[in-house]
Amino acid sequence: MLEQLSYKSKGTFLQSIHSVAILTYIAALLLLPLIITHPLYLLGVFLVSFLAIFASDSAAECIPFLVIGLWLTVFVMLCNPLIAQHGNTVLFYLPNLPLIGRLRISLEAICYGAAMGVRLMTIILAFALYNAVVHPDKVTGLVSRFAWKSSLLVSLATRMIPSAARDLSSAKDIMQLRGVDFSAGTFRERLKKYSWLLEVLLLSSLEGSLATAEAMQARAFGAGRRSCYRRELVRPRDYLCFFSGLSALLLAVYARVQGYTDFLFYPEFSSVAWGSDLFWLVLIVLCLSIPLILSWGWKHWPYLRSKI
Amino acid sequence: MALLEIKDLTYYYPGSTRPSLNSIDLEIREGEFLLVVGGSGSGKSSLARVIAGLIPEFYGGRLQGKLFFQGVELKGDDRHILNSHVGIVFQDPEKQLVMTSVEAEIAFGLENLGLTQQEMFRRVAEVMTFLNLAPLRDKFTSNLSGGEKQKVALAAVLAMQPRILVLDEPTSQLDPVAAGEFLDLVEYLNKELGYTVVLIEQRLERCFHLADRAVVMEQGEIVFDGTPADAARWQVERQLPFIPPVAKFFASVNSSAVPLTVRDGRRELHKYLPIVSLQENTDRKIKLTPVNKEPAVLVAKNLWYSYPGGGEVIRGQSLSVSKGEFVVILGANAAGKSTLLKLLAGILKPDRGSVQLLGQDTRHLSLMELGRKVGYLSQNPNDYLFQDTVEDELRFTLNNFQIPDNGICDEILKKLNLYALRHANPRDLSSGERQRVALASILVAGPRLLLLDEPTRGMDYRLKAELGGFLKGITASGGSVVMVTHDVEFAAEYAERVVMIFDGMVACDGPREVLGESIFYAPQIARMFRGLAQGVLTVREGLEKVSGGALGVCQSR
Repeated sequence: MLEQLSYKSKGTFLQSIHSVAILTYIAALLLLPLIITHPLYLLGVFLVSFLAIFASDSAAECIPFLVIGLWLTVFVMLCNPLIAQHGNTVLFYLPNLPLIGRLRISLEAICYGAAMGVRLMTIILAFALYNAVVHPDKVTGLVSRFAWKSSLLVSLATRMIPSAARDLSSAKDIMQLRGVDFSAGTFRERLKKYSWLLEVLLLSSLEGSLATAEAMQARAFGAGRRSCYRRELVRPRDYLCFFSGLSALLLAVYARVQGYTDFLFYPEFSSVAWGSDLFWLVLIVLCLSIPLILSWGWKHWPYLRSKI
Repeated sequence: MALLEIKDLTYYYPGSTRPSLNSIDLEIREGEFLLVVGGSGSGKSSLARVIAGLIPEFYGGRLQGKLFFQGVELKGDDRHILNSHVGIVFQDPEKQLVMTSVEAEIAFGLENLGLTQQEMFRRVAEVMTFLNLAPLRDKFTSNLSGGEKQKVALAAVLAMQPRILVLDEPTSQLDPVAAGEFLDLVEYLNKELGYTVVLIEQRLERCFHLADRAVVMEQGEIVFDGTPADAARWQVERQLPFIPPVAKFFASVNSSAVPLTVRDGRRELHKYLPIVSLQENTDRKIKLTPVNKEPAVLVAKNLWYSYPGGGEVIRGQSLSVSKGEFVVILGANAAGKSTLLKLLAGILKPDRGSVQLLGQDTRHLSLMELGRKVGYLSQNPNDYLFQDTVEDELRFTLNNFQIPDNGICDEILKKLNLYALRHANPRDLSSGERQRVALASILVAGPRLLLLDEPTRGMDYRLKAELGGFLKGITASGGSVVMVTHDVEFAAEYAERVVMIFDGMVACDGPREVLGESIFYAPQIARMFRGLAQGVLTVREGLEKVSGGALGVCQSR
């Protein structure tokens, strides 16, 4: 699972983009579902996020995220009609329940739940995309220019996770061979057994940190004023992706202020102004699609690849 | 003038009343290759830390004596400058890496020096090109192999352009191929690029001949300082074991010259042995199938195993281990040795095939049930240690299996020379002692079969001899031992049977003499005697061969 969730270099277009540009683009995918409520807009952004996962060649890695998202969506869709009782279009009534009374299931509540689910899925996909295309060192490198201590801390912690996971698995096998049955005993006893594992892990991590600190000092850490190593190149593709994310975000804010992205679910659906609503939707989706189109071109069109 | 000079230096770690370094006088000259040898706890690593400016700046403690760099005495905060002029590579490749990717790791030290962007890029580019690390540039350091990690650690140090390169047992965690590559690189850095190298090493077969000078340390003191050949003679006289086999052999026969490599050894050996005719040489063939009439303790049949999402690691392996047998499993990295050991221990269950342990299929036994029958020692002894005292570690296993003590703890502690340390915290012990505590913690359950994964890693010759003797004692009393190792010298000395694994399959299974026939897994002495005498794998056997046993008394332990 841990292996699946970690960044893997695949040489895809989205992985080759400058960290500022890709972070802007992912920020747009993350913030758009938060500032808009219109289901068509949500679907549009969701679709782009979904395609971005395929463009980054990371569908397999994102499956765990998608599965979690799908379950959460179903959960929200099922729960919302039970809680929200404002919809006018009643589909059916549930049997009379003690204390709660008779619940009515409305079309508006189901659709609102579905829209919330799509919003949630889009946000989850944005995080999954971040995981798949952004090298952690690029971000820490970016942050280290103004907060190098925090960035170093993140880097050290990130580096420790895989080895800690390996140590944990190995320590558990060894404990079992030394006669510890993790499934036996009361909850408190089992908790105690797991605390032994934690103890092994903690002791090894502390020793490891001391060795790492020594290696850091040996490499002149803390000797004086630090500089910051950066080797990210800026190419035309970076500008295109940066402006596609930024313009999608600005357009969405404008559309939100103008009320084009608003949609009322209760007490009944507000009408869709197909002309103006769709115009802004198409514009935003088009902006968000630029990196995906470039990704396709980068893969299949050598001329374009050479130019961006 | 010496590049670095240490005069009458004594050092105590915080809270210690015994000096870890005692009256050290040492000169390190420009471009020199200095080899430091000695047992665990002899002060080698402390000396390396003094040279690298980490003692007392990082460790604290009390330091007396003088330290000069390029003739200038370094006092107090001045010693900080050593961090910039001396680069140190530690033994654990995992723990010394700081950043997540290779390129960032190499740049880390340069950032600390506050270099300009242009200068940093130039140095990173040069080092990556020189060490052929460019293909790994964006790779996560945690996903690299041990050899690659150590190479990255070396690259990170080289990028800082140190005047002295200190290597503290850099190959102790590496397989022979990676260790050989690493030492070739160090040789090139010294011979062709003029780096001053201070190498602390336990595996001396590959590096003894590289040194211009060898220093022997015992109990915090430098007890010998001279050429490697003289160091070999001096140690043989005093029965110290820190000598590679070829040098030990010739020093033991009081040869006028002490060759340090197999090639030079073979030339010198002709003085002692006649050349055997080709016909005679090819007459004897070693029977590959081992014959052991004792009943089988473990029978593995047609084992297949793949890790989830990975390829086949074990492919149709069969193996039988008899009562009282000492089997060593050899093979390259990723050949499937550790996986095979985990399958035999029952930690992993085979995809196909079966493992019968004392007549029971391991698939039907829980790990707890297996723990009474089989003792498994992983590569990392720290996975076993979390109790407050050594004695508690042993009692922990006993309590889990509800075995009454009846003096078994004391007996095992005494056997493993741990009795005096029974009240010590296991985490305060040296790596060799930790290894023995981990071993003791599984032996108290009375397993009939011991499965050991590279237990000699990082051990000095003396500790290896102790471990070997102990394991021989176990097999003599009816126990069985299966050990995965890269240490062919240890295998030649103690094993009865050798299994070589290649690509998840058994390439060879036979008595220990097969090591003599092996091209790459032959011990140093076997390579030296190849074509001159049959069945000679160890120094003892070599001495017997040239003297008909009369010279056996000369050899040190």
